[in-house]
Amino acid sequence: MRPRTREIGWGAGPWRPVLATGEKKPSDQSGQKRPGTKGPAFHDMISRLAVLESAPVFFTMPESVLRALARRLRRIRVPNGEVVVCQGEPGDTIFFIEQGRCRVVVDKPPGAVTVSVLAEGDFVGEGACLLSRPQQASVYAQSECTLLALDRQSLFAVLGGRHHAVIDELRRLAEQRFSRFADSSVQATWGMLLKEATVVGVYSPKGGSGGTCISLNLVGALAQRYPGEVLLLDLDFPYSHSALLAGLMPTSCLARTGSVPQDAFEEVLLSAVLYHVRGPMILPGALRPEEADEVTPELITRAIAVLRKTFRYIVVDLGVTITDSTLALFDLTQHIVVVAAPELSAVKSAADAIEILTQLGAPHDRLTVVLNNRSLKPAVTRQAVERMLKREVDVEVAFDGARPEQAAVDGVILSVADARSEVTRGCLRLAGLLEAKHGQVELPARSLVAELHPA
Amino acid sequence: MRRASLQRNLEAVVLGTRHKLSIDLGEKDDDFALVLYRITKPLACDSVELRRLMAEFRNSGIADAAIERLSADSRSARLQSARILGALRMPQAVTWLAPLLESKDRAVADAAARALGRIGGAQSARVLLMAIQRAGLRRTLIGELARAAPDLFLEVTLGEPQRPGLKPAAALAAGLRRRQTAVGPLVALLMHGTTRERVTSCRALGWIGSSAAVPAVVAATEDPEWRVRVAAAKALRLLHSGQAILVLERLSAERNAHVRQASAAALRRLIREVKVIELTWL
Repeated sequence: MRPRTREIGWGAGPWRPVLATGEKKPSDQSGQKRPGTKGPAFHDMISRLAVLESAPVFFTMPESVLRALARRLRRIRVPNGEVVVCQGEPGDTIFFIEQGRCRVVVDKPPGAVTVSVLAEGDFVGEGACLLSRPQQASVYAQSECTLLALDRQSLFAVLGGRHHAVIDELRRLAEQRFSRFADSSVQATWGMLLKEATVVGVYSPKGGSGGTCISLNLVGALAQRYPGEVLLLDLDFPYSHSALLAGLMPTSCLARTGSVPQDAFEEVLLSAVLYHVRGPMILPGALRPEEADEVTPELITRAIAVLRKTFRYIVVDLGVTITDSTLALFDLTQHIVVVAAPELSAVKSAADAIEILTQLGAPHDRLTVVLNNRSLKPAVTRQAVERMLKREVDVEVAFDGARPEQAAVDGVILSVADARSEVTRGCLRLAGLLEAKHGQVELPARSLVAELHPA
Repeated sequence: MRRASLQRNLEAVVLGTRHKLSIDLGEKDDDFALVLYRITKPLACDSVELRRLMAEFRNSGIADAAIERLSADSRSARLQSARILGALRMPQAVTWLAPLLESKDRAVADAAARALGRIGGAQSARVLLMAIQRAGLRRTLIGELARAAPDLFLEVTLGEPQRPGLKPAAALAAGLRRRQTAVGPLVALLMHGTTRERVTSCRALGWIGSSAAVPAVVAATEDPEWRVRVAAAKALRLLHSGQAILVLERLSAERNAHVRQASAAALRRLIREVKVIELTWL
């Protein structure tokens, strides 16, 4: 874009492009800097990059693009209690939180509802900036905050060309947040549930048995009865992918709430929960493999204590390995679902797991075995499985063809999208079993929820 | 006839049915910039249509030619180029439009300011602020600063130490933007600023019309400086507060003639507006 003539150019002028004709040159401005070209200092650049790298969607971008974005960021210090974004106003800037916490509040007469508390690494304002809608919520600094502002022009100048897919991803995230905040504010005005949740642990001792698939679809099946009241806590470490399998983009996780002070823990934890439009809610355990270490038994106990007051069912995907965290959760669960595939090694592992769970004191009637057929002709028959496990299989999920894999690729939860799927049928049976054992008295709020989610 | 043909060509490029643009910028008239402005005005800055148009301008070399012509001898060429770059909203052109703000030809300087306002973003806003620092409070520059400034840009400018003359400009621009986020910094400026800053922040708070600003504006009616009291009286009319009529009545009996005159005019207009509102309700 630079002109080819010699008259205009940074080299020709003292501090900025000098017009060759018709304009008088400035007298002496050699001391002044060229506008907008002074880059941030090295350490400043490092901290800006760190914020971008921890932000959802942005961390996927190549370093050169992140550097270009980092150079265009404006640092803003906001005192405690000051308004950052005002509901109903237009917006053209994304604010990354470098330090501090921000409270997202939706004014919904007769009151105002806090729908989220955002901490370091998160961002706000993307809805108004990318969807050209008025701001959905007001954002207040909950502590002394340092924000990094990226305006729309800078964003499009860097990403508008070859990286337009990233802008589309950001738009998806903005849409997702938009619906989550809308639903959260509606739910909050109804008031919270009166009874504590039932915690169900889903454990598959052998990788590839479909534990994550079953837990995700179980949440979908339960959420059909109780939309917005069923949570999937994904502790399948080191890679917690349930949110992505449901087509949601996680922005925070349980691991990141570990360092939050006690007074703000509940708000930060609940604001990390992702809301699926068909009812299920998902809380990722860790977004990165290295964050898995930060999910300690103490953190899980604290989190479950908070989540129990808010949801009706909490389904925990326990993954494959038995760690301290898994053991802590076994103590907190009211029901354990063991998922096994009809393969020799998987059944052997399931038998061992059931034995361990029995030794740990899990009652026989609070243990459910799910046989998940991953192939058309299983190597081990159901009778053989039952013989090896020394107990009956409670629910058998028939072979479902390529549907589960396709659903994972499309980001769809089968149990809420495809009624003919075998996985859906199996999970509905499992949900029925859980309801028979742990079902609660119907609350009046449910009719309102059903109005919101007629599907 | 020529304008219609130009418009058809550009619309075909926007719709993607035509992929070649052959336009000679050397022609004297300003039709091209005008037609381009009309076509790009409804397009969002991230729309496919605008991106298509910008790509075509880059590929055909018209964008480069327009930047080169910013330094042309001819006044009309400079004007046309500034308008074209503004219509295209090219962020890359900000650096090259900045020197035109210093032009002695007011039309050229205003065209550059308008182009920067249309391009928008922090870089354009910074350039406009620097121009205000040099040229003083000029209506076009302040209006375009209000248009170009991204969120919290003016608020930060108001809250940080600045060279003289910049804070009043930022306050006026913040008032023109009518954002609630600016109320806090403007109230702080009204309480701690210089006379000129207090006057402009009063006017800006009136334009924003936030009820949160009423106590500060009412307090400003007792400011020792009569200019601030005049600005407060004008702001009170716009704030439509319950206290406004009482305060303006008190100010109508002021010793200073300017304040008396301003508050009486504000009171008259306020009473007229209240009557209109009451009649509408009835």
